[in-house]
Amino acid sequence: MVNLKYAYYPGCASKEITKEADKATRLVCEALGIELVDMPKANCCGAGLLTDYDYELSLALNARIFAEAETMSLDILTICSTCLMVMSSANRDMKNSESELNLANNALSSAGLHYSGKGKLTHLLWVLAKDYGLEKLSKKVVKPLTWLKVAPFYGCHSLRPSDALGMDDPQKPWTLDAVIKALGAQPVEYKGKTKCCGFQIDLVAEDTAVKMTGKRLIEAKTRGADCLVTPCPFCHINLDNYQGLAEKKAGQKIGLPVFHLAQLVGLALGLSAEDMSLTRHLVSAEGIVR
Amino acid sequence: MKIKLKIKRSAPLNESEPFFQAFSIDAYEGMTVLEALLKIADEDDPTLSFRKSCRSAICGSCAMTINGHARLACNTQILPEIHKFGEVILEPLSNHAVLKDLMVDLAPFWEKMERVMPYLTPPDAENTAKMTSEDEAKIDKSQQCIMCGSCNSECNALEIDEHYAGPAALAKAWRFIGDTREGFAEKRLDKLSTEHGMWDCVRCGHCTQYCPKNVAPLKAIELLRSRAIKLGITDNHGAKHALSMTNSIKRVGRLDEAAMTFKTLGFLRSLGMIPFGIKMELHGKMPLPLILPQIDGMDEVKAIFKTFEEKDKNKEDSGGKS
Amino acid sequence: MGCKCSTTKDILFFQGGFLVTHDVIIIGGGIAGMRSAIECAKAGLNTAIVSKVYPVRSHSVAAQGGINAALKSTDSWSAHMADTVKGSDFLADQDATEVLCKEAAFDITELEKMGAIWSRDENGNVAQRPFGGAGYPRTCYLADRTGHGIVHVLYEQIIKHGVFIYDEWHVVKLAVLDNAARGIIAVELKTGRLHRLRSKAIILATGGYGRVFKTTTNALTSTGDGMALALSAGANLMDMEFVQFHPTVLPRTGILITEGARGEGGYLLNSKGERFMEKYAPKAKELASRDVVSRAEQAEISEGRGVDGCVLLDVRHLGAEKINQRLSQIRELSINFAGIDPVEKPIPVRPGAHYSMGGVMAGIDGQTNITGLYAAGESACISVHGANRLGGNSLLEAVVFGRRAGQATEAFVKSTTLGDFPDGFLSEASFELAGILKREPSEPAYIIRNEMTVAMEEHAGLFRNKTGLEKGLEKIKELKERFKKAGLTDKADGFNSELLAFLELGNMLDVSETILLGALARNESRGAHSRTDFPQRDDVNWLRHTLIRNQSGELHLDYKNVVITKIKPAERKY
Repeated sequence: MVNLKYAYYPGCASKEITKEADKATRLVCEALGIELVDMPKANCCGAGLLTDYDYELSLALNARIFAEAETMSLDILTICSTCLMVMSSANRDMKNSESELNLANNALSSAGLHYSGKGKLTHLLWVLAKDYGLEKLSKKVVKPLTWLKVAPFYGCHSLRPSDALGMDDPQKPWTLDAVIKALGAQPVEYKGKTKCCGFQIDLVAEDTAVKMTGKRLIEAKTRGADCLVTPCPFCHINLDNYQGLAEKKAGQKIGLPVFHLAQLVGLALGLSAEDMSLTRHLVSAEGIVR
Repeated sequence: MKIKLKIKRSAPLNESEPFFQAFSIDAYEGMTVLEALLKIADEDDPTLSFRKSCRSAICGSCAMTINGHARLACNTQILPEIHKFGEVILEPLSNHAVLKDLMVDLAPFWEKMERVMPYLTPPDAENTAKMTSEDEAKIDKSQQCIMCGSCNSECNALEIDEHYAGPAALAKAWRFIGDTREGFAEKRLDKLSTEHGMWDCVRCGHCTQYCPKNVAPLKAIELLRSRAIKLGITDNHGAKHALSMTNSIKRVGRLDEAAMTFKTLGFLRSLGMIPFGIKMELHGKMPLPLILPQIDGMDEVKAIFKTFEEKDKNKEDSGGKS
Repeated sequence: MGCKCSTTKDILFFQGGFLVTHDVIIIGGGIAGMRSAIECAKAGLNTAIVSKVYPVRSHSVAAQGGINAALKSTDSWSAHMADTVKGSDFLADQDATEVLCKEAAFDITELEKMGAIWSRDENGNVAQRPFGGAGYPRTCYLADRTGHGIVHVLYEQIIKHGVFIYDEWHVVKLAVLDNAARGIIAVELKTGRLHRLRSKAIILATGGYGRVFKTTTNALTSTGDGMALALSAGANLMDMEFVQFHPTVLPRTGILITEGARGEGGYLLNSKGERFMEKYAPKAKELASRDVVSRAEQAEISEGRGVDGCVLLDVRHLGAEKINQRLSQIRELSINFAGIDPVEKPIPVRPGAHYSMGGVMAGIDGQTNITGLYAAGESACISVHGANRLGGNSLLEAVVFGRRAGQATEAFVKSTTLGDFPDGFLSEASFELAGILKREPSEPAYIIRNEMTVAMEEHAGLFRNKTGLEKGLEKIKELKERFKKAGLTDKADGFNSELLAFLELGNMLDVSETILLGALARNESRGAHSRTDFPQRDDVNWLRHTLIRNQSGELHLDYKNVVITKIKPAERKY
């Protein structure tokens, strides 16, 4: 089998506020033999906010990220669904329309850069579910998480818009469920798994955002989940950091630990809770990690 | 092929609890959900209620929740659904009150439409201004809306906040604000920039994913936001959020979260965040702006920004509208 | 459920409904209805639209190809009129046709002022495409969803002008006393209650009746309601035998594939791959008038050169880019409903019932033979289409005569006092409805509906003859008797869809009878009315309009001369 090697784009959140996700990803990839090469020049994708400001500027800055990966002759791997969605959408537009690619390249040329429009982007989740392979992954599991009922939280940006993302099926997503199973845990079925965590409006309409976060958590809990796992650091911020606010708003205790995808994989691979920096989470996972 | 169709039944005015009823039908190649419903209403249960009219995906009557998501009954075929889900489950649209069976109360939908003043208001009543194909292309998608309500049914912001304007009305708003003949774009954007307006979109992408006519309401919302920022309508959390993100990238190439919170919410509100901040700090989660490193190659990022700033300046100088 | 109350109590229930007064009530919220409403509301009239669907759901929204108007200096309204009159097989009233063609350009501009969007040519002018039966490319369009564009711009305007909308209300009776309109009785579908809406004037704009035929392009809601209401209120129906069969309709579903597909250059092919229209209309070929093309297709199919009961519409040579730009909806419809991508394969098509040239007899301002009752759009017969309508003229008729009916209503309302609205109308309607709900049905209504659509297709379709028409008439009469004993399973009040379907069926049976009566009497072939036993046009005996009127329950036939001003009838060749 070909050695898996990617230009690694953790995204801004995991460089700072959720750096435990970055650490866990590096350790997990090392354990699995997936090679990650840092992208020191990579700029922020804009998280959609840059698109709100100026679509064309966003196109050019995303093209710059792809251009860097192109100089490394590698596909990009991210661990953030929002980065995945923003960069994939920009890439789709540049692939579908020559004028948009030219537009981006005109701006890039001012910085002495060029993007062919042929770049590829993937997510750790997709790599595990497809490129690395579920069977191979389950063989690497030394500590099957058989006691855990895990609610997969796909969120929005690993699923929609599917014409830009392409991998999972937004009506019937399977990748995260399949990875949970491969780790020996049991996925929990609930409607909220493909819905929004509220992150995008935390600072705009906090009341709506917090209610939304609470609704997702409460539904997962009602359906019997012990914890959640998400492929997106922004979802993690809301589901974990905002859980206290959500509890206050909903007037009930929730207490659901939330894992980054890499953390859950790491635990099953036998990496320690300390390696996975679980203490960085606001909702303690102590009771459920053995 | 004999298949089962499960339909969520509700009595008018919710006189009794909703329940699922299964109907067995002979499905043929190409048979649509609407064709199946019509057959059931004729032959099995005439009390079954659902809206329908053109049966060719242009009147917007028959949107309903099909296997979990809002779609048109008339252009969704039975057999591919069976193939994918093993069954066909029909429920009324979400985010709207159910009137009976598959019919929901669309009054709030129409009210949201009316609230964005869904008609062109040219600066001169005679509206003699002409449009080019390029002008029309900018609003072409949003004017293809059939008002079926699928997007509002799927919208996650509307799920939580019933007062939110919603994707359908916002796409409609862009149809006028993006129209070169419109005379009151700025006023409209001012109004849309208030609470429950265009900045409350959570970017969940459901509207665009499930729109049966490819209207892409999320794109329309982005266009509204860009236009508002360019017109200087920035005295609100949403615009400030977008601006501080943009500035952060311009400054260091990446997200500066502490600065963003501060800039978006203003000094007093960010003070209110302090108790929450302290808890985050204990877990090492509070972003520290002072030590935020910038990315390599910032000169490239700055050069890219510069080309767009020059572009904007040229547009202003030539007096052209953005 | 089950019937829960006596007839008397039912009546009391229904009479719980309210009485509201408007200056004008417009029945139907499609293009003609909304266009007239805008005119009334702009003039300050208290205007209401009553429709069994929300206005944007009206079937006008499905119109695809375009709207005709002579806009260019090399074209003229008189050329448009000449094409229209020829297309009508000389049965159109030329005074009305002149109004239609003269005012077309004005109304296109009016729509644009309201905010309408059109496809444009490279100079930024409203683009125009060739259409069947027209000697000049004068069909304005918005891709292949022109009706959608116009419906939504008119909807925007009725919101702007504050028109009151009674949506999901079904009209069961026109209240006419002393030959003057007094208002309507309508059932509010949400509650099942009957209400009285009182007005000085009524505009009927309820569209067509395509659903009386098995294969039709029409919406499920096109059930001829307005024509049946007018007939029972004593209005004249005119030229009901003229039913347009559109040449390019998808099999099974009947979904329309626009004439614009041929206007953009599409070919019609038979099983041998021949462009057979070269044989039937050497000059116009695929762009001959619709009656001519439909009959040619049927001839090819009948003579064994069809493909599974269809011919093939081939647009592949236009290329993906043009198809996506100009015919995107057609591509979507073909993929979704016929499983065929027209970029790669020709689309199987056949003729299907599409449009009613006939309707409620109305003058050039929409006035009918009942004072205060106006009609516009497909439900009216002002006679601008005669025996066959040209593509692109129906949207035009709806906007021109919708506007004119609105203007005429304004003048009428301002010079009239409100008439009485006697109680009798409501109790009569209540009694009828209670009867339907109460009786134990001998059979479900859908069986009657299915038999009707089959009989109409067989006996009153593309080709007709005396024996068939007589059989058809006999069948409809039989079905009408059975209908009286049929009834409902659903006895509920709120959202009783079965009740609505039942009332619609009653209307369709009435309309079917008028089509057959007119067709049986007309011993000639003209336009869309093609009698195999009378294959020639007969101007000596039949250059006249058929009138049908209900006189105390009996239908009576009468005739009226065609208005001929500028264009003498001549042989029609394409």
